[in-house]
Amino acid sequence: MMVQHEPAVRVEGLTRIYPADGEPVRALAGVDAVFARGTFTAVMGPSGSGKSTLLQAAAGLDRPTQGSVWIGGTELSKLSETKLTELRRGRIGFVFQAFNLIGALTVEENILLPLRLAGTRPDQVWLNQVIGRVGLTDRLRHRPSALSGGQQQRVAIARALASRPDVIFCDEPTGALDTNTAAEVLALLRGVVDEHGQTVVMVTHDPVAASYADRVIVLADGRIVHDMPQPGADRIAEHLAALGRRRAVTGAVTSAVTGSVTGEGVVR
Amino acid sequence: MTSLAWRMLRHRPGSSAATLLALALGALILTAMGVLVESGLRYHPAPVRYAAADLVVARTDTTFTSKDFAGEINRSTVALPEGGTVPAALAGQIRELPGVAVAATDENIPVVTAVGVPLSGRGWGSAALTPAELVAGAAPQRGDEIALGGAEVGSRVDLVVGGVLRTYTVSGLVTGDAVFFTDAQAAALAPHPGQVSAIGVRAAPGTDLDDLRTRIAGLAGDAHVLTRDDSGLAESSADRAAAGLLIQIGASFGGYVALLIIFVVAATVGLSVRHRRRDLALVRAVAATPGQVRRMIMAESALISVLAGVIGVPSGLAAAHWLTGELTTRGFLPAGFPMLPGALAGPAAFAIVLASAVLAGLLAARRVSRIKPAEALGEAAAEPAGGGRGRLIGGLITLALAGSAALAAVAATGQTAMGAALGMLYLFVLAVSLLAPWINRAAARLLAPALRAVFGTSGYLAAANLRANARGTATVLTSLVLAVGFGGSVWFLQNNLERQAVAESRSGLLATRALVAPAGLSDSAVAALRAVPGVRAVTPVRHTTVLATLMGDGESVAARAVDPAGLASTVDLSVKSGSLAALRDGTVAVSRTQASMFGWDLGEKVEMRLGDGTAIHPEVVAIYQRGLGFGDVILPRATVLGHTATNLDDEILISAPASADAALRQVAAGHPGSALVDTAALTGGLARDLALSAWLNRMLIAVMVGYTVVAAANTMVMSALARRRELALLRLTGVTRRQVRRMVNAEQIGLLGTAVVLGGAIAALTLSSVVRALTGNLVPYVPPLGWAAVLGGTTVLALATTILPIARLLRVPPVGHIGIKE
Repeated sequence: MMVQHEPAVRVEGLTRIYPADGEPVRALAGVDAVFARGTFTAVMGPSGSGKSTLLQAAAGLDRPTQGSVWIGGTELSKLSETKLTELRRGRIGFVFQAFNLIGALTVEENILLPLRLAGTRPDQVWLNQVIGRVGLTDRLRHRPSALSGGQQQRVAIARALASRPDVIFCDEPTGALDTNTAAEVLALLRGVVDEHGQTVVMVTHDPVAASYADRVIVLADGRIVHDMPQPGADRIAEHLAALGRRRAVTGAVTSAVTGSVTGEGVVR
Repeated sequence: MTSLAWRMLRHRPGSSAATLLALALGALILTAMGVLVESGLRYHPAPVRYAAADLVVARTDTTFTSKDFAGEINRSTVALPEGGTVPAALAGQIRELPGVAVAATDENIPVVTAVGVPLSGRGWGSAALTPAELVAGAAPQRGDEIALGGAEVGSRVDLVVGGVLRTYTVSGLVTGDAVFFTDAQAAALAPHPGQVSAIGVRAAPGTDLDDLRTRIAGLAGDAHVLTRDDSGLAESSADRAAAGLLIQIGASFGGYVALLIIFVVAATVGLSVRHRRRDLALVRAVAATPGQVRRMIMAESALISVLAGVIGVPSGLAAAHWLTGELTTRGFLPAGFPMLPGALAGPAAFAIVLASAVLAGLLAARRVSRIKPAEALGEAAAEPAGGGRGRLIGGLITLALAGSAALAAVAATGQTAMGAALGMLYLFVLAVSLLAPWINRAAARLLAPALRAVFGTSGYLAAANLRANARGTATVLTSLVLAVGFGGSVWFLQNNLERQAVAESRSGLLATRALVAPAGLSDSAVAALRAVPGVRAVTPVRHTTVLATLMGDGESVAARAVDPAGLASTVDLSVKSGSLAALRDGTVAVSRTQASMFGWDLGEKVEMRLGDGTAIHPEVVAIYQRGLGFGDVILPRATVLGHTATNLDDEILISAPASADAALRQVAAGHPGSALVDTAALTGGLARDLALSAWLNRMLIAVMVGYTVVAAANTMVMSALARRRELALLRLTGVTRRQVRRMVNAEQIGLLGTAVVLGGAIAALTLSSVVRALTGNLVPYVPPLGWAAVLGGTTVLALATTILPIARLLRVPPVGHIGIKE
């Protein structure tokens, strides 16, 4: 893997504590990670392990309680909300699970929205390439409601690519798709990394989706428990299953020690 | 940003239409009110009576000067309700000035033809001021000669002059519609001895008018010297009174409506932002700075308000046209009153609507800043169910203020209570809007068992929704409370005032008969009535207006001037302290309302000015209850003699047995234009007058109440339409269509019950404070149909505006909605 001098994303000592009525909830407990340029990383873990929190903090959508985040050479904690937004729209792309698009705007307008809000002129050659790559050339004038779920995700990918960001963050991008459509979308992401040198960080709980990545990080109780080169879907599933078994045995103890409650309601 | 805002609006036609409707209606009402104000403010009476005079000396208004707390001199100028006068002798002094060709005095003598047509009687000397040209015959020479239009020279004409029938010979025909007497006869008939209503001056050719004006002003004291263009100000005309009325109506109602618009638009824009939380979070996450989202929301508001202005302002102009027609038909406006097309009112209304929409957008946009971009990732865009601590504290403070205003209104008497009550109404509604999340949650908890019992599973779901969505339904609750509270108090206030006025007048009139004459009654009628055998008491009554200062401003107060002799047999004013027996020149009796508003006490010497501006300092000898029926100030007739426009009485109250009727009728026959009526007819007449002015109040109040109703309907439709995803989810999890409908009904009934209880309590408190202040009764009168209308209307509104949109949502299969963003 060709690594440049500076990684695309780096997080150090990342801690996020959510205030709660009783015990405060510790969603991230000191996470260190580096995401090199041109790599595709899958972040996995059981529900409540902190993977979504990690993504939000790394993408500048949420501010960590402690620790720091670098996007390229920029440290995020000192940025104002406006500067943070400007950084997001210029250097970070997003693909969420669903509801990625503004219903009022056409496909083309959705793709151009970050550039338009930034007031920068789109690079037409690059855009045509991106739109061709995601296969939406004949759908530009449609509204999102006229597209299938897979097509909507491809629009979101095109939007994320439009500004040539340092990194694209994906939050369960195939969570709402059927197997075949999911495969298309994942292949597209893989292609973006391989052909354009993009950096992609994807949160998923699906071992098959994770098998498209170069590297898999597994989180549990707010800490990284595995950080490995992508070993294939079967091995990933085994790792997760083993993790699940261990947690089932030690769950009560873990909760008492870390003071965290794992469950859907904890991590937003 | 504008085009993005435009796309956003078009994507949500429902809520955009709701905001558009609220704004367009607001623009309509504001434009119509603005046209009234503009026409009133820019009205300039055209010179008619003094069209040929170069300068006119007259007293048209009176100025009160006072020092405020800071020691600054405060001046308040009020038009004289009875018309001012200048000394007749001033004409002689002006005539001596070099450059004066003619200086003629002008009288305004009330004249009525035998068939009841009112004319203006003048001295021949003033004919040069108009000018009234002699068409045929000659100027009047003898006391029994007149010149007028529309008669034959040499014919004899019967005229009622000064309340007495007289016969005149027509000596000449003139243009115009005045009756000219000889100057001597005019001076003898004039209502103000030694005073004239104006002095007109014609300058010799080549005279410097400005210089002459200055020299005349030196002689005229505090009277004005008007140029020809301004001389219309010296004419008493119905147009001028109408101009004042227009300003008053337009400004007060326009002001209330402007407040309502801000409230309503803030509510609808706020709701539309709330319903798009998810979208806005997404825009924030991928691209937009908080500032950009705020600007987008404001651009949306501004776009809608421009569209609303384009629709509302022309409709407002049309509405103003219609209103002008109605006001003219009902006698509020003289026919041909110059209404302006609204060249200023239209743009002003446009600007107010634009400004309030942008302000509302600004308020809503503040909420946007609190939306976290990370919400775009969440499964559901949930907002915190409770309100913030600041909101709770603000709400409690407002509630405390409203409570103390209620205490003040109940404790106070009179006009102060009216102000306190309206302020209280607004404060209570504001407190409800702030505390709505907590009110909703408490109501949900209280109502849950009842809803479960009546609606079963649907009721259980409804109670859960009410509790969970306590904050989201705050706007709906507030707008319902506003509609109920407003409709239930302001509307019935008018009823109570009318009823009370008629009731006071009826129970206060001891006299059984009255002699009335629209043109006025003279002393001879009083004397003739007193001479009728069997008559116990006769009280001549004169309706006039006095001026007094309230906090430095001159205020007009409705007054009656009566002959105190025998007053106890004709009128019962329900005296609370002092005695009417002490009423004589130099004293006054005032109503409780008046005494409390102006801070007057029994035995105090108070300052006031008569309708022609004459200052008097009478001592308060009695304070009475029945101000609504008889006016707030009762003066002895001797005080106002020579100080009213006609110097005649308006009615004569007679206390006499039925056996005297025949003789009384003979007196009436001897005074043409007069009629003997039963006093019940007097109160009937009062009721008719009140009903007439009530029409205007009612219509304007109806417009305001209607506006609050539209606002409530808007918020409910918007909230209902925003629930498609939630309802689709319920149906997919197995709740049947019927259960969904029952659930929505149950929710709406819970919300409605809360709103009616709160709104009803606020309305009752407001109404009873005002009614108590004015009448002393704690229980206001509310017509039974009124209750039914308010309660039924609100129920129908709440159900129709929710059930219809929900029914529409339910027609679409649930799967069609589940993928849709909220």
